[in-house]
Amino acid sequence: MLFHSQEFILLFLPVATGIYYALARYQAARQWWLIVASLAFYGWWDLRFVPLLVGQSLATWLLAELAIRRQWRWPLQFAIVANLSVLGLFKYLDFGANILEQVTGLEFAKASLILPIGISFYTFELISYLVDRLRGNAPRYELRVFTLFIVLFPHLIAGPIMRYNEIIPQFAYEPLRTGLYERIGRGLVLFLIGFIEKFFVADQLAIIVDPIFAAGGLAVPTLSQSGAGAIAFALQIFFDFVAYSDMAMGIGLMLGLMLPANFDVPYRAVNLRDFWRRWHMTLSRWLRDYVYIPLGGSREGVVRYVWATLVTMGLCGLWHGAGWTFVLWGFGHGLGLLVCRMWQRYGPPMPTLAAWAVTISYVILLFVLFRAPDLATAESMFAGLIGRGGLGSIWPAATAVPILIAGALALIKVPSYELAMRLRPSWPAAVLFVALSVFCVLEVGEGQPTSFIYFQF
Amino acid sequence: MLGWRGFVMVAVGGFWGAVAFLAVFVLLMNPYGNLPHILFSEHAITDINQRFQYPALVRSGRYDSIVIGASDSRLLHPKALERVFGGHFANLAMNAGQAYEQYRLADLFIRQVKQTRTLLIGLDHVWCKEDALEQRTTFRGFPEWMYDDNQWNDLVYMLNAKSIEISGRRLGVALGLKSPRFPAGYEVFTPPESAYDPIKVRHKLWGEEGPRTFEAAAADNRAHTRSDWMFPALGWLDEILGRVHGRKVLAFMPSHVAAQPIPGSGKAARADACKMRIAEIAARHGASFIDFNIRSAITTDDDNYWDRLHYRLPIADRIVRGIQQALATGKDDPNGDWHYLAGPEMVEISSTR
Repeated sequence: MLFHSQEFILLFLPVATGIYYALARYQAARQWWLIVASLAFYGWWDLRFVPLLVGQSLATWLLAELAIRRQWRWPLQFAIVANLSVLGLFKYLDFGANILEQVTGLEFAKASLILPIGISFYTFELISYLVDRLRGNAPRYELRVFTLFIVLFPHLIAGPIMRYNEIIPQFAYEPLRTGLYERIGRGLVLFLIGFIEKFFVADQLAIIVDPIFAAGGLAVPTLSQSGAGAIAFALQIFFDFVAYSDMAMGIGLMLGLMLPANFDVPYRAVNLRDFWRRWHMTLSRWLRDYVYIPLGGSREGVVRYVWATLVTMGLCGLWHGAGWTFVLWGFGHGLGLLVCRMWQRYGPPMPTLAAWAVTISYVILLFVLFRAPDLATAESMFAGLIGRGGLGSIWPAATAVPILIAGALALIKVPSYELAMRLRPSWPAAVLFVALSVFCVLEVGEGQPTSFIYFQF
Repeated sequence: MLGWRGFVMVAVGGFWGAVAFLAVFVLLMNPYGNLPHILFSEHAITDINQRFQYPALVRSGRYDSIVIGASDSRLLHPKALERVFGGHFANLAMNAGQAYEQYRLADLFIRQVKQTRTLLIGLDHVWCKEDALEQRTTFRGFPEWMYDDNQWNDLVYMLNAKSIEISGRRLGVALGLKSPRFPAGYEVFTPPESAYDPIKVRHKLWGEEGPRTFEAAAADNRAHTRSDWMFPALGWLDEILGRVHGRKVLAFMPSHVAAQPIPGSGKAARADACKMRIAEIAARHGASFIDFNIRSAITTDDDNYWDRLHYRLPIADRIVRGIQQALATGKDDPNGDWHYLAGPEMVEISSTR
């Protein structure tokens, strides 16, 4: 069930929030209700994966509890390995088998397992808790709130990747506390903004992107086509993911919960480090705290710094998908970050506009790897970008207009969630909300809504 | 200033009020005639997407006989067919109708109409396509939910701008501001005959090169490939003919010779194999099968066509007369307009093979 579907907006969301507020004064009951509703939401995708989600959460909590009661470390270590193994089994087994086949020349049977939706996101949340318990930083939690932290439906499928300590304490807040209507109102507006970003921006860009990359797999496209494909995809993936994140935050607000932001106008970044401070911020934060810094970060010499950066970004790529295109995308960013740091330290200062242009061009180029279904298509697209397929013609209006509009929107200084936070309640705003929300619901009723890109990770 | 409480009340109340109003409007207007009738006892067609409009015609109970097919069957006039077969005919052929879509419509007809009298299937190349199982529908969309036996659940698929727009048109019909479209499914979709331009048409038929004769291609001897030829849609045809009562007639519609495979070519052999398979199925179920898609006075005369697939209006009458004559004689046309490939009298022959 997608957030921007009629069954979610007209059925699931009103029922889930309605019963939640009916139980608002009963902490345990409302929390159990959110767990039940979240599992129903997850089961709507595929009922078979509900036991895996519940099993991983329950096993993690039980092992953490065992470690606390017996003062043992091994249950936590075992739980980390077990969670990574489950992720590896579902996501990387066949990829590993393919690599082994290429190296050894032997043939291995493929598991062809279906990737449980959201597994990369919730596994990282489980691991962050376990690592922090090992470090002695994380408190002990009841099973109910711990399970709710993992399965809470707004963030279950594609994040934001939350820390236990930024959401679990909020579960105890009285939903009817002061500011109830403001939270619901801003949540509704943020949800609507996300809906518009997805349906009217990201999905329109997909119409440009998909045929270009499909054709790119068959022949080298022209510079005009490959440029349009690369830029449009960079904008599509941003709006697709920011839309999901805004809708997730909006639903959180409707429930009285503040979820962390994932984006801070990333296409205004003037260097690659700046970009990663603004792009998928909850993943960047996770990788920084649980991979980059433990590997030495930037404080233990150049060699360790280079190693930590490349490994972290390589893993970042691999986290997105089991394929060489994702790995290269990650390493590309790793190399870019190294060059960026060296330039900042030893190079001449660059004018802001030039720095922005270099950064965004590099990000757009690397997104070709991210979108290409295989290396051959990526190579073909890159060949197109250096003019091997000819210059091509000027973009038609159907290509140029959506790209220009989306580009302008992506560069607005204020992130969308801040726009919702700055809104003042008024009659015009309320009437506009009604008109736009009814229009959106009718539009999405025309056919099957398209999924979010990040749901495949 | 409204205040946040007021904002939420207006936003939520306004949204749900508007959604409820629109849902009730659609329910009452019943734009596709697929919902239980509340306000109007009769369905009036006000839209051209036949996939959405025809289920109501099948359910109306007015027709015991139907034509299914693609656009090349749409010009067969129900009244002309009634004169040949009797009964009450609706022409439910769909623009670019795929085999699966036609199968679903025939299936609905068999389920809904207890006393079926005649099923006329206007065949064309879609029934012989190798990828018919994959290419089931077109960009027009196919509302599976309209073809099941639960009419109430259809409403959840109808809260959209298109349904509301058609509901508005239905209201226009009720108020006498608009006229309903093709009441028995039939509509002349080709341009007026007075607008016929032979030069333009010839260009459409033959392209830049202009008219040419087709020499028989070198014989395709790849007989070993023939065992691999698949006609997956014919499974649906087999099923439908096995279930329907009354008269069953299959007519392969005449496409212009420029659209037919070159005689002797592999494509022609495959098309012939498909027709043979259809003839076997027809014979097994006591159906008649008349093939108009051959080199004939109809298909070789450019002046009979608007484009490679769509013949002109008078040809439709010629096809109906041809069907009538073929059924009466059980033989090929002496003038060569059709081949009679199977008929009820061939059941015996088929079953003893």
